[in-house]
Amino acid sequence: MKMRKKPGGVLGIVALTAAVALSLSGCRGDSGGQGGGSASSPGITDSAITLGITTPLSGATAGPGKCTVAGVSAYFGAVNAAGGVKFGDGKTRTVNIKSYDDAYDPQKSLANFQQMVSDNVFAATAGLGTPTNRAFRDAAISQKVPQVLVMTGDPLFSDRKQSPWQLGFVPIYQNEGAAFGKLLAKSGGQHKVAILSQNDDYGKGYVSGFKEAIQGASNISVVGEQTYEATDTSVDAQLTQLASSGADVFFNAMSITPLTIAALQKAQQIGWKPSWFLPSNTSSPTAILEPGGASAYPGIYSVSFAKAPQSPAFAKDPDVVKFLDELKQYGNYPDMPAFPHCMWSYMVGATLEKAFQNMKEPTRDSFMTALRDIKDLKAPLMLEGTSVNTTTDGQPAVSSVVVQKYNGKGYATAENFG
Amino acid sequence: MGTFIQLVVDGLATGSIYVALALAIVLVNQATGLINFAQGGMAVLSAYIAYAFVQLGLPLVLAILISIILSFLLGAVVERFLLRRFEGGDPDTAVVVTIGLLTLVTGICAVLWGYNNLGFPSLFPLTSVELLGAVVSVRSLATAVTIVVIMVVLQLLFLRTKLGLALRAVADNPASAAFSGLPVGRLLMVGWGLAATLGAIAGVLVAPQLTLTPGMLDTALVYALAAVILGGLDSPIGCVVAASAIGVLENLVAVYIPLIGHDLKIAVPFALIFVILIIRPQGLFGRKVVVRV
Repeated sequence: MKMRKKPGGVLGIVALTAAVALSLSGCRGDSGGQGGGSASSPGITDSAITLGITTPLSGATAGPGKCTVAGVSAYFGAVNAAGGVKFGDGKTRTVNIKSYDDAYDPQKSLANFQQMVSDNVFAATAGLGTPTNRAFRDAAISQKVPQVLVMTGDPLFSDRKQSPWQLGFVPIYQNEGAAFGKLLAKSGGQHKVAILSQNDDYGKGYVSGFKEAIQGASNISVVGEQTYEATDTSVDAQLTQLASSGADVFFNAMSITPLTIAALQKAQQIGWKPSWFLPSNTSSPTAILEPGGASAYPGIYSVSFAKAPQSPAFAKDPDVVKFLDELKQYGNYPDMPAFPHCMWSYMVGATLEKAFQNMKEPTRDSFMTALRDIKDLKAPLMLEGTSVNTTTDGQPAVSSVVVQKYNGKGYATAENFG
Repeated sequence: MGTFIQLVVDGLATGSIYVALALAIVLVNQATGLINFAQGGMAVLSAYIAYAFVQLGLPLVLAILISIILSFLLGAVVERFLLRRFEGGDPDTAVVVTIGLLTLVTGICAVLWGYNNLGFPSLFPLTSVELLGAVVSVRSLATAVTIVVIMVVLQLLFLRTKLGLALRAVADNPASAAFSGLPVGRLLMVGWGLAATLGAIAGVLVAPQLTLTPGMLDTALVYALAAVILGGLDSPIGCVVAASAIGVLENLVAVYIPLIGHDLKIAVPFALIFVILIIRPQGLFGRKVVVRV
């Protein structure tokens, strides 16, 4: 893994002026193929390709952010050590990763993107964050630089018309809500659902996915629906109100850790014990469910597509063993991953490798074509029933998730509701 | 009816978070004549200090006591070496300094402990009791009782003790207080120290519920300021009543007036402030400030 070094004062100004001058003169450096022939895009030579990751490496989201770099670095570290990737044009190349810290600040991610362009990066990938990825989306489109397999549940990145050079990796919010809705609808039993959601795209995405999935299912009725603001210190009033609806299922599209813990505690205090649905990023057994006393409920459901390396069920899984070993050796990440982003970005590595193998020419155009043509790829670490599928417009690379149920320690795949 | 009572009880519990902070703001104001925007940040720092000692293996009560003593010293030091330079000048400048202090303290907490939510152990169990058909957690109940005790102590301190009288005199008119032989500087340090102590108590009371992050009390600070203005800057009882009223009113309005709902309820206390300040500029329980010409 290479970390970006800030150019020194005078040098920086010179570099910046040069970059500005270059972009002003309309020369986008398509001749800068560095010996790869006049047709190849920047960032790819006959022997190497360079990828850029802008992601939070400091600040509040640094934990998951570091994982996004570690996973890709681990994957390609091992691939490079074995000789590199045999591309579709017949040449074998090694894959270099450059990482840039944006501290989850949209201004910085935009600056980082400009830096990537002047650093001759072939494509931006794996970066975490909706606002940060949105910040340079327009610039990436106008400069025709791929911004692919990024870690955001925002559907905008998977809409081909609006985002021709983008593709999201993780399931969009709607996918998660829909997966739970489907499971509930096919359960056959009569269920009353109470919904609490964050008043933004995140909450609305989950709810719309869920509602679409239960449409027409006569056994499911929504009996109460409330929202809260991400800045709220308490949702006690909403819970009291929803509890009085008599719902036996609680769909809680909440992204705030302390509020989720407090909600788990509050509902059992007032004697309301429904089955819960929680989003994948607020369903951590150790950080949320245990302090929230989740075992008091008949069931806590969430969704996932990655094998959890800390789970005893996967301790001897060959994928997991190989992954942990490579993460240590090439990812500069010696600990047991605390965030799923480490596994996700490892799968990003596998997805990129597949696209590289299929791209016929060393160009960004050819890369995008190859990337959008992956069907049912079983990337390492993927759970049974999920796969990478990039051929559907409007869907991210991974749109299949499996519903899981909390068993008091970790999660196990839930075939049926109840 | 059951829902109604539960909403009132929930509102009181939420209100108690605001009260804890509001009381500290009143204390600083009584002792120095300033509004301290850094009060929330300082309370969070105190909670982190207690957390650090718990991590070292100390019992929770002992860690909290140490944090309270350190907070008193820290408050006094901040007054002596930072705020002292701005006292006697333009009060607006001093207020801006406290806002700067808030940013600084938050940054320090972030550097030392990071932004991840840390679980803070609670002094009180998480069990709940039934009260008039509503369920209330022992933690909320104990927090409320602690706050009422603090309120009574503060009221007694200001109105019944020589120290309280001296603190008020210094805040009211530092020059005259100095002429009558009061050690103005030392009293100001004591005032800040006491407020920081109170902040520490507030911090450790609410940290188990909100979980410890550098910005834990940012939203609560907005409500606490609203409560202080509503209840009267010089009235501990006033701000307890006002903060509780805000908590309860918010809940009831959100549930029973669908037009407002949970998304607009934050506007309720502020609409209330407009109305009340037009009718009673000194706040509900505040005394009128009379300036002799």
